Amino acid sequence: MADKMELNEVEVWDGNYAASQALRQAQVDVVAAYPITPSTPIVENYGAYVANGYVDGEYVMAESEHGAMSACVGAAAAGGRVATATSSQGFMLMLEVLYQASGMRLPIVLTVVNRAVASPLNVRGDHGDMYAGRDSGWVQIDAFNAQEAYDLTLCAFKIGEDLDVRLPVMVHQDGFVTSHTAQNVYPLSDEEAYAFVGDYKPVDEMLDFSRPVTYGAQTEEDWHYEHKAKQHKALMESYKVIDKVFEEFEKKTGRKYNRLEQYMMEDAEVAIVALGTTVETAIYAAEQLRKDEGIKAGVVAPRSFRPFPYNEIREALANVKSVAVLDRSCPMGAMGALYNEICGAMASTPANPLVTNYIYGLGGRDFAVEDAKNIFREQKANADAGYITTELQQFSGLRGPKLAFYEAKRS
Amino acid sequence: MKGVLATEKRGIRELGAEEMVGWDEVTQGVVLHSFDTEVENVAHIRPEERPYSDFNSYTATVASWRVIKPVYNRDVCIDCQNCWVWCPDTSIISRDKQMLGIDYDHCKGCGVCVEVCPTNPKSLLMFAEAEDNEEALAKWPEKKKKEK
Amino acid sequence: MAITSIKNLKEFSTTNERFEGAHLLCPGCAHSMIVRELLNCTDDNLVLATNTGCLEVSTAVYPYTSWDTSWIHIGFENAASAVTGAEAMYKARKRKGTLKDPDAPVKFVAFGGDGSTFDIGFQWISGAVERGHDFTYICLDNENYANTGGQRSSATPIGAHTSTAQAGRVSYGKKQKKKDIVGIFAAHGAPYVAQLSPNKWKIMAKGFQKALETEGPCFINTVSACTTEWKFDPKDTIHVTDLATDSLMFPIYEIINGTKLNILYRPKNIIPVEEYLAAQGRYKHLFKPENRHVIEQIQKEIDEKWEYLQRREEASV
Repeated sequence: MADKMELNEVEVWDGNYAASQALRQAQVDVVAAYPITPSTPIVENYGAYVANGYVDGEYVMAESEHGAMSACVGAAAAGGRVATATSSQGFMLMLEVLYQASGMRLPIVLTVVNRAVASPLNVRGDHGDMYAGRDSGWVQIDAFNAQEAYDLTLCAFKIGEDLDVRLPVMVHQDGFVTSHTAQNVYPLSDEEAYAFVGDYKPVDEMLDFSRPVTYGAQTEEDWHYEHKAKQHKALMESYKVIDKVFEEFEKKTGRKYNRLEQYMMEDAEVAIVALGTTVETAIYAAEQLRKDEGIKAGVVAPRSFRPFPYNEIREALANVKSVAVLDRSCPMGAMGALYNEICGAMASTPANPLVTNYIYGLGGRDFAVEDAKNIFREQKANADAGYITTELQQFSGLRGPKLAFYEAKRS
Repeated sequence: MKGVLATEKRGIRELGAEEMVGWDEVTQGVVLHSFDTEVENVAHIRPEERPYSDFNSYTATVASWRVIKPVYNRDVCIDCQNCWVWCPDTSIISRDKQMLGIDYDHCKGCGVCVEVCPTNPKSLLMFAEAEDNEEALAKWPEKKKKEK
Repeated sequence: MAITSIKNLKEFSTTNERFEGAHLLCPGCAHSMIVRELLNCTDDNLVLATNTGCLEVSTAVYPYTSWDTSWIHIGFENAASAVTGAEAMYKARKRKGTLKDPDAPVKFVAFGGDGSTFDIGFQWISGAVERGHDFTYICLDNENYANTGGQRSSATPIGAHTSTAQAGRVSYGKKQKKKDIVGIFAAHGAPYVAQLSPNKWKIMAKGFQKALETEGPCFINTVSACTTEWKFDPKDTIHVTDLATDSLMFPIYEIINGTKLNILYRPKNIIPVEEYLAAQGRYKHLFKPENRHVIEQIQKEIDEKWEYLQRREEASV
């Protein structure tokens, strides 16, 4: 039996260490991984737990991320708890297998330390990899700091493995800003953490030889559509279990998570919608603007990127006059993905907020409080004018002449 | 024409003739269970005694692929099992070291069994699919002396 | 009854099949001969993985499976990763005591065609073998991408016509030589590596059993004559395979621990490779006067390889 690890009430952990501790405490049966910056320390830390007797499970160092995720799929189909970690190019190499994992309804947990996608090569944080996974059929949960990376990784097992879900789950955190920044983290003890996650419940396991099972059958035009639709429904309805798990986690720790996080939205006139560490920057900017400039600013942040919280977005933005949606990924020939989701949600409501799109922070470009403030101020100008005073899509924090697209129609 | 040891479930439907159920009834994760109930080690259970599920291709037939078929002549056979070991379609039925005959639900009529048959005359010969087996046996080539 | 020793074919035929009919492989396909034999030569529980390819698209098309064992297909390249992931899970769960039947023996086997073994899945197999998992990888080598209509792979021999290395007015077909896949996996230091052929069923069964019983990663390349793409009559699969092994186009041998080489089959009468080539439509063009030099080249390389294998065996290192 693996040794327990004595933890302090408050630990100083970075996001990577927090995630690796959550994997250890969940007593994962198989971690199959391949290291890549900036998520490498998750794999290294876990390797240290293995080397020092803190892990009973198997630790498989694959020859690539594709091989790692493939081994995860084989391991998960064999009926146990499985997790891995990756970033960026590794995520892209895994992408083929991500779809296969979800199609087979295998609840693998993938801790993703978000990083830009080449070319040009870049190791810093943006959301290019997270966005690449958005149609892959995984639950995608976003952590904004180290504590959340720890908490949500524990929650991820409980969400994905729930018999009403049975889907793989990604827990995202921002490269370096979260993954490599040491912060105070309040961990659970090993016993408490495992009790929260619970034992793995095998479903259609390949190691139950009394019920031989075939995984990965082919379906053509007569069956494929029905299977995809069934899978989509499972992901659409997984919000019920996510809510339940967040509730249980709050009971245990007092830390409350929501599929859509809202900050100062009760009376907000303008809002920023964002993901990742940017959320905390935007909150800080909103607080200052409220105090210094009297702008009723608020922040909305999808904790659950998939399933996307449409209903909650509708309610949260119902009374907001102007909304800036921030995409930390270059959409290449379209509006940002988050922008499109928000517009999609609001299009069916009587509320008709002015919604614009900001591309920012690519390749780890710093997004400062002042950048957030400027975006809020532009929303205030829109709200006052009653129409969009800027282009629909602008690039924030970019050197060179202003880059923006689509004139708004002023009515 | 079912051939030997046909069970209630063997070859009961053409591929594609299965019920096209809706999204709510397809299996979760596209998994397919080979059997309806729990089995001990399958390798110790004879096919005719297994609880095959509707998902097992044992329950389907590919008989319609055939234009020619092998006919088996017990009188000439020496039970060498060459046909058994090289049949690509698990369609030579052998039990207790004896060749019993052909599973016509799963035989595709490739003719390998005839080619590898060492007896003289052969114990298996290809005939037109429409030919009656009894008539085929009646016109079996003359036996030379059996070569053992 | 456990099939621990296979004395003769009569005894072998008492095994209970775990590979079912009404799969969609072509009539006369050697893939299923090989797969059936693997499944029949053990009665241990099996976890099988299969790369995308003829075998996969023919044996698990929803809503049917032809497998009476646990079986998984993920993609074109990653059956070795899938099966070794399952093997890792088996070890973890055995240690933790969460297996339903912890004492039942289990074997882990991956199948792939030559496309997924020599080409697209090469890295995944190499990684799995290097990691030392207890599994057997079996390549069903029909020397082309038969599932998609016969494109060249790096297993396609020189001179063969394929749809992406065509024989034509100014071309004799594929220009490059076949990879030495057996040598490559022997060079990994795998404990058991072999090339086997279904016409020599007993040698193949013994090789399969040896691989299954050997702890650690084993690799076997099997000759899988392809009636559709090699272009011969389906009834002649075993005949063509006989020509392959008796011309030494496919020598049958094993390599233990990366070093010790044993030749497992020595044809009594070695036939000229021309006879093997003449039996298949894919080599038809080589018999034109301007292409006959390719036949000579193939024969020369076969002779050299046979000489090499015999010397390796003799040296016993």
